[in-house]
Order: sequence, then structure tokens, then C-alpha cells
Amino acid sequence: MVEIPFERYTLDNGLRVVLSRDASAPVVAVNLWYHVGSRNEKPGRTGFAHLFEHMMFQGSEHVPEMVHFSLVEKAGGSLNGSTWLDRTNYFETLPAHYLELGLWLEADRLGWLLPAMTQAKLDNQRDVVKNERRWRIDNQPYGDWDERMQSMIYPSDHPYHHSVIGSMEDLDASSLEDVEEFFRTYYTPNNAVLSVVGDFDGDHARDLIKKYFGSIPPGPPVPPIPGRTQIDAVIGKELRVTVEQDISLPRLYVAYRTPPYGTDDYYTSAVVAQILGYGKAALLYRTLIREQRLAQDVEAYAFPIVVGASMLVLWTTALPGVTLDRLESALHDQIDALQHVEPRDVTRAVRLMEARQLSDLQTVGERADQLSMYTTLFDDPARINTEVERVRAVTVDHVRSFAARFLNDRNRAVMHYIPKTMNGS
Amino acid sequence: MTSAERVNEPPPGPIRDYHFPEVNSRTLDNCVRSVVCTAGDLPLVTAHVIVNAGAATESANQAGLALLTANSLEGGTTNRSGTQLAWDLEELGLELTTWTTWDATHVRVTTITDRIEGALALLADIVRNPAFPEGEVERIRDEQLAEIIQRGTEPRALADDMASRSIFAEGSPYRRSTYGEPDVLRCLTAVDATAFHHARMSPDATSVLLVGDVEASRGHDLVMRAFGDWGGKAAPVPQVEVRPGVHETSIRLIDRPGSVQSEVRIGHIGVPRTHPDHITLLVLNAILGGSFTSRLNLSLREKHGFTYGARSAFAARRHAGPFMISTAVGTDVTSRAVEEAFNEVHALLRDGPTDDEIANARNFLAGVFPLQLQSTEEIAERISDIVVYDLPIDYFQHYRADLLRVDSTSVRQAASLHIRPEEMAVVIVGDAAALRPTLEQLGIGKVTVDNLAPAPALAPADAE
Repeated sequence: MVEIPFERYTLDNGLRVVLSRDASAPVVAVNLWYHVGSRNEKPGRTGFAHLFEHMMFQGSEHVPEMVHFSLVEKAGGSLNGSTWLDRTNYFETLPAHYLELGLWLEADRLGWLLPAMTQAKLDNQRDVVKNERRWRIDNQPYGDWDERMQSMIYPSDHPYHHSVIGSMEDLDASSLEDVEEFFRTYYTPNNAVLSVVGDFDGDHARDLIKKYFGSIPPGPPVPPIPGRTQIDAVIGKELRVTVEQDISLPRLYVAYRTPPYGTDDYYTSAVVAQILGYGKAALLYRTLIREQRLAQDVEAYAFPIVVGASMLVLWTTALPGVTLDRLESALHDQIDALQHVEPRDVTRAVRLMEARQLSDLQTVGERADQLSMYTTLFDDPARINTEVERVRAVTVDHVRSFAARFLNDRNRAVMHYIPKTMNGS
Repeated sequence: MTSAERVNEPPPGPIRDYHFPEVNSRTLDNCVRSVVCTAGDLPLVTAHVIVNAGAATESANQAGLALLTANSLEGGTTNRSGTQLAWDLEELGLELTTWTTWDATHVRVTTITDRIEGALALLADIVRNPAFPEGEVERIRDEQLAEIIQRGTEPRALADDMASRSIFAEGSPYRRSTYGEPDVLRCLTAVDATAFHHARMSPDATSVLLVGDVEASRGHDLVMRAFGDWGGKAAPVPQVEVRPGVHETSIRLIDRPGSVQSEVRIGHIGVPRTHPDHITLLVLNAILGGSFTSRLNLSLREKHGFTYGARSAFAARRHAGPFMISTAVGTDVTSRAVEEAFNEVHALLRDGPTDDEIANARNFLAGVFPLQLQSTEEIAERISDIVVYDLPIDYFQHYRADLLRVDSTSVRQAASLHIRPEEMAVVIVGDAAALRPTLEQLGIGKVTVDNLAPAPALAPADAE
């Protein structure tokens, strides 16, 4: 397998830096992870971490409004950010000779954001985010599934109970004071990781990083995650809900509470997701789709999240004429069959995961994002090279045991999406 | 650091050259085109097969057959069943990806270098010897039908499909979707897929691209071994005619009661991929709606907060595809958003883009080009344009220079020729009762409301 080289160090203000040089193309990725996500939101402010991410693109003391985007685009770069449960990331890929521009922009909004914040900007981005919620969730068939599933798998006082996008009411309640408080609490060098990957000179990059980030003062220690972060390993019962929506085909979602990202069991859950739902030889594709012709599609996903528990989610859409009860029963039969899974199912899953990891590592942006992720979550950038060993270590016995312990009717949430009018007239 | 260093954006460093990797093309005796491109620094090779069997090569009474045939390739070959094929691929870590556009069917795997021979042997078996078992083709047809049904309740897909129906006249294939028409698709069988494969998927209609950790001579040898002894000849492809379906601006409202957002499409017929203005239009479109800092996105999103995003694009197809503005806006601001979109179009045509805008758009497109070519799959997709649209083999070697040559005069000329607000179809999927009055007040065109027929009758529910 390929070994991604990297160098890691920490500035005096606590900013962790990972550099990885690759001169095969004249491009460079600048990637920052802040260790704050929707899990850190206080009651009444769901969706705020994401709204804040939008504010980070609205300029900073030395970068006028809209100039952040235009400087990167006219340099021939691409940029974005994203907010998730555990983290918020910001990234740009640039022609290599614009490395300094990327570092300057990122440093300015980490060090000098607040002077540029205005009520007008907040009101505008609040409208944008509310439209993002409509676009992703409220006006989209099955769009609210993860919001509903999170609220079932996690108790109401757990930080994963609410969705990243948050509620319209809480977005409306957000103020400029919230922006300031959130910034001072979480957007500090000691709560961030900077990764730079691509075609650069190491000494030059270290000098630039010191020049732009070195003078930013550290912030106070980050407060603990609000709510109850430790929860039972399993739910202890089955939870069910039926949702009527403006859809044409019924869809079934089944989720299980599983051990968090980083544990041995997590890697088993990731392999299980591949065994069940990834590829045309996947167990659920072979059975529900090819042999039994009950379903139109099937997906499986293990959430790489770290607080208390993760979740393994399966979904499948019924073909016309197939009821969800029948589809669900067929699905549970296959989940039960996992306790007798064959070695070749595991081998196939691991091979596909190895191949995908190698393919993903082709882009500097993905390398930078993985280096930031492993440093943020595990303080261990070397996992970019060693994570695949954890996947390879998963055996048939691990899968069988995992299925018996976690994939049962004492630990699952089941959601039926059904069309509003079943008669179609 | 002095404050001046902080205040002003830093200048760029010395520019580093980018060269699109060399593309080496040769034609085998049986007319298979073999294209090899050595690229990347990881032990990976993408094998990408392109067949001139896109949806535009199916006749109207076979609508959906190109996609059905391509998807049915997973049903197995004369050498292995569908399930066996899936195991053989995936035990090598190979993920088979198949897709069909109007212009081609694509079949692709990416493999680690050591397994390239096995991967190519499987790919050749899939493309050359599909068995099209009756049960598998029926299954895949039923899934395709279900997909069509789903698109009817998915606002974005519904807006795209309905916009095509407005933009293109009856008889133009682009009027329909590549998924086909339910009434036609329902009757297609394994016999049709077999015949389509026989007529269209032949060596003279096929190109095999190898991109990545492979030298040209070895690459051509590998292609020769996998595809060199394949015989056959493609039947003539039907003539395609593309005519506009609208001649004056009108608003078509697709009623989706209770929608909290409106999916908006505004457009008309565009230009073929091979039009000489193609590169100029990329620059023009980057300014109008093809970048984050485009006029449409800055206005509708950053100024007004109507939307999460607004964009525009000229579709790249062999014949003139759509030019389309797309956005999703809050129900209560829909008519204002449509008005603003037209204002932006009119302003661009009236005053033209500024010299700064043109320079920025050129630099943006030239700069992101190498960023989008970091993986073997991305490079192969670019090269597939050379194959599908019969572009010169060195097309992407001078692509950036061509972009950087686009000037103000050519952008203005292209704008006035290719963007015609007076003949744009406006299609909106949303809550008609809430939207209709304000859309009529806009006065930009006649407003009609479609109440979509209910989804095609579902098979009776199974008894339980």
C-alpha cells in the first residue's frame, strides 16, 4: 500500500499543523478542522454551528465582504466548508503559487473575524441557511430521515439528538452576541488543526504559517460538550415510527446504536455496512434486489462519530406493489443471517474499502481532510496510513459477534416512510 | 508582522506550469480505438470504455432502451452469471460503474496496477458478451420504471424533466429523459436489449481508455489482448433533430401543493458541444451563473437571501442541449427571484461583463482545470470528451491557453447570440395557488398551471 509522508508540529498558541508534500501536480490544499460541531450547541440554538460556518465566509477585518470567495475564485481555486456533528471544516484547493493567499485568508478569519460581523450579514446568511434547510430537508422526499433517526437513536439530552441543520425557530433566535460568544469559545488556535498538502517548499510553508497564524493568541480551554455524553451501549428496545410524506414509493430506514468511531467494534460496523449494502455482491443487493425483487435500492452507512455511540443505518426503497412490512421482514432475515456470514463476504468488503481509500488519496484535498480529521479526532495523523490495518483486522468472528450483540430487536429504530395517498388517485 | 502585511492580500508566488498528460491514441484492426494516458503517482489504473450507444441512438419507440441495456450489463455474461460477475469484480476490489448519457454509454473500473489484466478481462467480458438473462432485464426494467415514478415526486428531478419538455419540441429526443417513457419502457424486454447491444455496442463504436500507472505501449497491448479479437459492425445511428419548443417567454407552473420551496428552471435551447463558441461560453457562463461569485448567485443568494444557491449552465451534448438557469427559492419570494434572474440576464446583455469579470472568469476556469484532474477517473472523463465529440487529440494541451485568450468582444458577441431572454421557458415546481398571482403580476409571459397526472398505476399491493 502507499505511504503518505507528513510532518506534524504545534505552534506556541496551540495550533496543530500537518504538512504533507506532493509535487506531482502544481496544486495545494489548505484545510482547517475546528473541533466544534452541532454537538457543542446549547439548548435553543440548534443549527448554530452551521450558521456560524456561513458567517466565516462573510469577510474578516482585512477581507471585505464577498472578497473571500472572489480572491480564491480569481486565483483559480475552489473552496468550501462543512459542518457536522463533531467538527466544522474549511478548505480550499489552489494553484500552488497561491498557497500564501489561502493561509492569509484562513488566518484572518481565525484571528480577526468579529470586527467584520454585522446584523445585515447575519440576517442574510440566516435566510440562506433556512433555504438550505428547505432544499435539503423540508422540500425533499425522505429529506428529514437523519433528523428523525438521530432523535430516536440518541436520548433527548445527548448532543447527537438534534440535527446539524437545526430548527427554523432556533435559527431565528440566533443573534450577533451568539456569533461573538461562539467565536471566542471555539474558534481558537488551540481548538483547530491546519493541514497543508501539495506542491510547496517545507521551509517556506512553515515560515508562512508562523507569519500568519503565529500571532493569534490562544483561547481559553474548550468547555465540555453539553448534555449527557455517556449513554448505554444499546438502546434496550425497539423504537418505531411511521411517517406520511409526499413520496411515490415507500422507504424503510433501520438504524442501530453502535460503538463510537475509533473503537475496534466501530471498524467491524464499517465492514458490516460494506457487506450489507455496498456493491452488487453485497448481501442485501443479492437478496432483496436480485433474488427476491422486493427493493429498488439499498444503502448502508456507519457514521464515523465519536461521542458516546455511533449509529449504523440501512435504508431500502420498496418496488411498486411491495409493502414495507414484507420488505422489513426480509431485511431482518438477512441481518440475522449475518451471524453466519461467510469469510468471502468479509474479504470482499475489505478489498473494496482498501481500493476506495487508495483511490480517495489521489487528491490533495482529500489527503488534507483526512490528516486534519485524524489529528482532530485521535491526535494521530499517521492514521491516514494505518487506518486500513484496522479494517483488515476485522474477521468473520468479529462480524458474527457484532451482529449478535448490536443488530437485534433490542437495539434498533425502524422508520417507515409511506406515501400520503396510497391509492394514487 | 507589520500591519501592511496583514492588511493586504499577499501576492502570488512564481507560477508553476501545468501540462495535461499526453494522450496516445491508436485504432486497432477491428476499429476499437485504444487511448492511453500515463498519469498520477499512485499504483492505480482507470479502465474506461466508451460506446457510441447513448440515448440519442435509440428511437422514440424504444425510449429508455439505451439506459436499460447499459444497466443490464450487470446481469451477467455468456461466461458468468450476474451474481458471479459481481463477486469476480468485487473480490478484486473493483467497483463497476456504468452510466449512459445522450451521447454515449460508459463502463468503468479503477484497479490497482497489479490487477489490471484481470480487470480488463472482466471489463471486456461485460461489454462484449452480455447474456441479458430475461429475469435480470425485467428486474432492471422494473427498477428503471420505479425510478421514473420517483422522479415524479422529487422536486428537483421533476423540474429538470419538465423543463426539457418545455424547451424542446415534439420529436426532439432531448424532450424526454434518458430514463425513457413508462409506456414504452414497460414493453421492453431482454430481446430488445440483446438487439440494441448487437446493433450499437460493436468494436467500431467502442473506445477503451487506460489512464494512470501504465505506459502507452503496454497499455495498447493490454487493450489489444482484451478487445482485439472482437468482431462486428454497428448499424447506422438514427438522425437526431433538435428543435425549440418555445418561441416566447412563458411560465409553466407544476403544482406541488404545500411546497415550502419552489424549484425554478429558466432556459432555452443552447449550442452543441462542438460549437466554436464553446470555450467563450464557459467564460460567459462563469460570469452569469457558473461560479460562486457569479452574478446570479451573488444576487439571489448573497444579496437577497432567496436561495441556498443559483447557477446556470450550457449542457454539453452532440446536438444543441439546454441552456438553463437553476435555483430553489422560498415560496414567498419566488416571483421576486424570477424577476431578479431576468434582471441579471438583461443587465449582462445590455452592459456586457466588465473587463475584470472576464479576466477573473478566465483565471478561475484556467486555474481550477488542473484541480479537477487529480484522479485517474477525472482525467479519463476529460479524455472521454475527446472521444465522444471527436475533438483533436491535443485538445486539452492547449485548453488553458484557449480559455485565457477569450476577450471582451467575443464574450459580448456570444452573449447576444446564445442567451435570448425573450424566448426563455420558465418552469416552476411549487405551490401553484400561492405562486400564481404574483407570477402573473410579473408580466413576463403567460402563466399556465399543470396538475400532474397521478403516478402511473402501481401494481396491486401484495397480500399479507
